[in-house]
Amino acid sequence: MFRDFLALAGASIAHRRMRSWLTVIGVFIGITAVVALISVGLGLERTIDQEVAKLFGVDTFILMPRGAFGRPGAARTSANQFSLDLAWLRSVDGVRTAAAVRQQTGFVEGPAGEDGRRVRGFFPVVGLSPELITEFESFLGTLEVAPGGRLLTAGDEAVAVLGHAMARQMTVEPGDTITVQGDADAEPLALTVVGILSAQAQDTPQQPAFAPGVPDSPDTIFIPYETMGLLWGRAEDVRLTLVKTDPGRDVNEVAARAEAHLRAQGTEVSAVTYTDISEAIGTVTSTVSAFLAGIAGISLLVGGVGVMNTMFTSVLERTRDIGIMKAVGASNANIMTLFIIESGLIGLVGGVVGTFLGLGVSAVTSAAIGRVFDVHVAVVASPMLIFITLLGSFTLGAFAGLWPARRAAKLPVVDALRYE
Amino acid sequence: MNVLQLKGITKEYQLGKSAVHALRGLDLDVGQGEIVALMGPSGSGKSTLMHILGALDTPTGGTATFEGHDLQQLEERRLVELRGHKVGFVFQTFHLVPTLSAQRNVELPMVFSRIGKRERARRAQELLKRVGLADRAKHKPNELSGGERQRVAIARALANDPPVILADEPTGNLDSETGNSILDLLRRLCEEDGKTVVLVTHDPEAAAIAHRIIRLRDGRVVEETRNV
Repeated sequence: MFRDFLALAGASIAHRRMRSWLTVIGVFIGITAVVALISVGLGLERTIDQEVAKLFGVDTFILMPRGAFGRPGAARTSANQFSLDLAWLRSVDGVRTAAAVRQQTGFVEGPAGEDGRRVRGFFPVVGLSPELITEFESFLGTLEVAPGGRLLTAGDEAVAVLGHAMARQMTVEPGDTITVQGDADAEPLALTVVGILSAQAQDTPQQPAFAPGVPDSPDTIFIPYETMGLLWGRAEDVRLTLVKTDPGRDVNEVAARAEAHLRAQGTEVSAVTYTDISEAIGTVTSTVSAFLAGIAGISLLVGGVGVMNTMFTSVLERTRDIGIMKAVGASNANIMTLFIIESGLIGLVGGVVGTFLGLGVSAVTSAAIGRVFDVHVAVVASPMLIFITLLGSFTLGAFAGLWPARRAAKLPVVDALRYE
Repeated sequence: MNVLQLKGITKEYQLGKSAVHALRGLDLDVGQGEIVALMGPSGSGKSTLMHILGALDTPTGGTATFEGHDLQQLEERRLVELRGHKVGFVFQTFHLVPTLSAQRNVELPMVFSRIGKRERARRAQELLKRVGLADRAKHKPNELSGGERQRVAIARALANDPPVILADEPTGNLDSETGNSILDLLRRLCEEDGKTVVLVTHDPEAAAIAHRIIRLRDGRVVEETRNV
């Protein structure tokens, strides 16, 4: 029966070829816009996910003060530093390596100048695990030291790398010694300057020397993480911790376990994995995509009104045919079904054309975005997207035809037969 | 046995503000296997009567029965069934669906009766052969002559093998030769298949094939003659 009705509806659509195509155009413009926007949105989401995974590493998580990352309204803590036992963290099951960053303000004394005077003052002192440089390269920005110096390496103890402004102020060069005073009750330490960060790298805000979260102002003194312990004791001033898990381990599980343990000890930290970051970015891109698709949906609505208009005209034109069909045994439900299938078919054809055009537009747009931002943006043409679009377009057409079809079905036979 | 029975049938239309009395207390019995011709001037109520006989319209008053069933008491579902299976309509202006071929037009009543595709095609071809149009099956109505269209309409009326054929001026739009062949076809349907035929006509020659001629005027039966 359905197939017969499909054939009857198809014959009617083919008979009014020009008008049918014009109606289909009205539908497919909307579908094209919606499909293209959704496809580009999904493609961007997938690309962002891949880029984040590439940059962040699928085996890495960050420990940061609770509330520093996450949804607005999530529990926040006023502190931006937390206490951490790095040795414990490294011993957690599933953790391969970890690097932490501590920050304090220390009283620093430079070497004696030519006139015998020393520059003194309070400056930010940042303790870095050397693993930060050796194991988490993707977290480093344009970290460069001026010629003649070097960065911190494993096994370093009483050494320091200075920000370029700090070095200039103290007229320090690699090989010189500076003195840093930590806690009041701790002995001052003499540190050998091994490198000075290049001015160019530190003064480019778009490409910072370190990862976000690592203080890197030009007047900072960078010292080994272990050395921080000699100056300030237990690490209660950690700003950031990067953790790499063992290969094959579920990073989210290890992160959750570490986070839960630390919280149980009263340390307010959040563990952030690459999925958290891509989800956070994804939320923004999906909201934007949904908003744009909503705007494109307006043109779909207009297309639907076009289908309704065509179907009303069709009912009017075929009033006598409706009478004939009823006279030879068609029920009201038969007539209604026939017209709904007809309008649904118009919607479906619009859907098929719109889907292909939409994917084409998406491919071109993705290529353009990829060229501008120098990334490969995937063109997402998931079977689910196509299926939902086609089902949606048939439903749109059928829904638009509902009212005209009802009107057709209710026509009295005799009046319909007499219609001129 | 009477297939169709009308008693005191009245039908009123509202035309603007005035009421039109199309039928004014009409009585009519039609027996099985009978050809009855309805004659009368325009406006005498012939077509309205045909519509009531074929369950396309309901009377304002009186009783109309089809094979003993009171048409006014039948629910819509049964009326649809009656139109599809018990009555075959042939109209003066053919009333074929223009977008469908001759064969598909003949198949139409069978589509609504949920008859399978193969069986439908077989029966449609058989009926088209019977009305002499086997070679015109794939043609659309606008590619057929008036006589051919009317024969397609007769084939369609026979699609579900109904016992009653209602033909409303079936030769009205045809030349006399074509008209005669249509009348011959209707006569043979009665004689060979035992169909009951009610025929509306202005043409005495057409009425000549009937067993009885009923003359109507102003919505009433004014004369009934029996052809010998």
